Amino acid sequence: MKMLSIEDLHVAVDGKPILKGLDLEVGAGEVHAIMGPNGSGKSTLAHVLAGRDGYEVTAGEVHFDGEPLLDLPVEERARRGLFLAMQYPVELPGVSNLSFLKESLNAIRRARGEPEMDAVGFLKRVREKARLVELDERLLKRSVNDGFSGGEKKRNEILQMVLLEPRLAILDETDSGLDIDALRVVADGVNTLRDPSRAMIVVTHYQRLLDYIQPDWVHVLAGGRILRSGDKDLALELEQRGYGWIMEEAAA
Amino acid sequence: MRRDPETAQRFRSLVKRQMEAVPAGGPDWLMSRRDQAARRLETSEPPDAVQEAWRYTRLQPLLEADMAPGPAEPISDPRVGESLPPRSEGSLLVLVNGRFAPEFSRLRPESGVTLCGLGQALSARPDGPVRALGSLSEDAGQAFSLLSSALMQDGVMVHVAPGVAVRHPVEILHLAVAAEQPRVAQPRHLILLEPGASARVVERFQAIDQPLYFNNLVVEALVGEGAALEHERLQNESPNAFHITSLYLQLQASGRYRGLTAAIGAGWSRTDLRVTFGGPGGECDLSGLYLAGDRQLTDMHLDVDHAVPGCTSRETFRGILDGRGRAVFDGRVLVREQAQKSDAQMVNANLMLSRNAEIDTKPQLEILADDVQCSHGTTVGQLDEDGVFYLRTRGLSAVQARRMLCMGFAREIIEGVHTPTLREQMEALLEARLGAASEAGDQEG
Repeated sequence: MKMLSIEDLHVAVDGKPILKGLDLEVGAGEVHAIMGPNGSGKSTLAHVLAGRDGYEVTAGEVHFDGEPLLDLPVEERARRGLFLAMQYPVELPGVSNLSFLKESLNAIRRARGEPEMDAVGFLKRVREKARLVELDERLLKRSVNDGFSGGEKKRNEILQMVLLEPRLAILDETDSGLDIDALRVVADGVNTLRDPSRAMIVVTHYQRLLDYIQPDWVHVLAGGRILRSGDKDLALELEQRGYGWIMEEAAA
Repeated sequence: MRRDPETAQRFRSLVKRQMEAVPAGGPDWLMSRRDQAARRLETSEPPDAVQEAWRYTRLQPLLEADMAPGPAEPISDPRVGESLPPRSEGSLLVLVNGRFAPEFSRLRPESGVTLCGLGQALSARPDGPVRALGSLSEDAGQAFSLLSSALMQDGVMVHVAPGVAVRHPVEILHLAVAAEQPRVAQPRHLILLEPGASARVVERFQAIDQPLYFNNLVVEALVGEGAALEHERLQNESPNAFHITSLYLQLQASGRYRGLTAAIGAGWSRTDLRVTFGGPGGECDLSGLYLAGDRQLTDMHLDVDHAVPGCTSRETFRGILDGRGRAVFDGRVLVREQAQKSDAQMVNANLMLSRNAEIDTKPQLEILADDVQCSHGTTVGQLDEDGVFYLRTRGLSAVQARRMLCMGFAREIIEGVHTPTLREQMEALLEARLGAASEAGDQEG
């Protein structure tokens, strides 16, 4: 059984169809890259999987670990091991990053049947992970993402990911707007978590990130459907030839 | 809007009833100030919705409550002792139902610092600094302050000699306990900082059980030249209580005041902060947090008078409303013609957790001088749903997420509390209240 299985998924936003019959299977241990032109539905897919309001599933099914995913509340998906690293992380003024991370980790641990972490153990763990993602420790004491630079926000996303150790991580254009150093940090985070029991979906617009994260599969999403799937060589081909040829072939 | 004869009638009968128990005795100056206030009370217009000051705050619930005259009888409830804060290095002055209770107070003598019940100050040294009593509040003519002045006899006196810095915070605990009949407590505080002195005064209002009463507090504070007063307050009265705080603050040249009020309790409460600058270089920082839920009305009134040049004021207030809660924010800053180089910045932000809550917010800057820096901003908004989603994707429930965001909104004010025990108490109270609010919001949504 695949960890994630998406069948014929149709999604509309404000009555406008965005995903039009998407199929995707992701097995444990696999890293899938989803590429595609702007407006192809990449972020829609990421958000539907995380459970955001405002996305209407008009047809199709999604199973996570064999169980239907789409009726689960957002937090229940997270507790079962699904994680979305957001393209635009939200700023939460007044909410301490540290206490947010602690509550979040403990909510996930409770769901996994693990004991909650105490303040000391948590602090040790979060500092270690912050070093891993090269996030300035001072940012832990600030409000969540409040006044963070673009790169700091993304590092904070990756920090959450390595802290929460999800079974399925979805990175929604986490690489956009990042310099090479930050890109490497994101990739390191992903590679650290890479494990036969976990899977990743890396949504990206550029091939660049895939220099650091070697995907097992590359899919081209355009017009709300996956038009082509291949291995990492497909990403290189896209880099050289763009998306036009795939869309032409699909139209033909 | 027309004057409501019934409101006037009810106010007059409340006054009449309370005036049945005018305190006897006291120095001549005190008797004459009480008389004066009583006469003004008779001749002045009763508070009414036609007056801008009472336009959004219904007086009926307060005026309809039947309150016996005179202070409540002394209470011998063992739970009073159990309600006291843990021992600290500073002094604690306890008032039970508006009466100074020396048996529960812990006074730590410090050189140059006088801390005592107002009654003690009046009898021991009637011609000492206590003579300032009633002098700051008398011009305002606010009806409930006049009522207080007509009956003033008890409360707390804080006097700090020139150049003396009070080492530890002075804590004042207002404790309400159910009495045989609902009463009006009329405590008065007189806080006098001589030139160059400094102090922090921490006030807490709390109740045992949920008694019905009306706490009508008047605080007069005089901050001398170059003196600095910090004033941190947590109003967590009984949900059945009525509460008015009227602060009359005067800042002399280069005097500084930093005051923070969290209004969380009471079914009906009003906080009136009136500030006058008496000399250049004064700095006044007022901040506050109010929370209003079902069957709750919270009113914050500010009146900051830049009467002289070169003073700075900051007014930063945040409100959280849920259920059918109602709040009023009326912030007035007056910059008089001669008050050049004034700097005043007022911000009021409100978070509405329910469609049934209501806020009336009215920031007013009246600027008559031309060389000033003044601004105000008001926002009324809802919880950021993107923030709720973000937190839920990290495993937090919707209830937890909302509470966390509300706490974040409140924290911008609470982090200004310099007294750790008070800050912790505020956070715990807010967490409890907001938890309940988020759950209600969840059901509503």
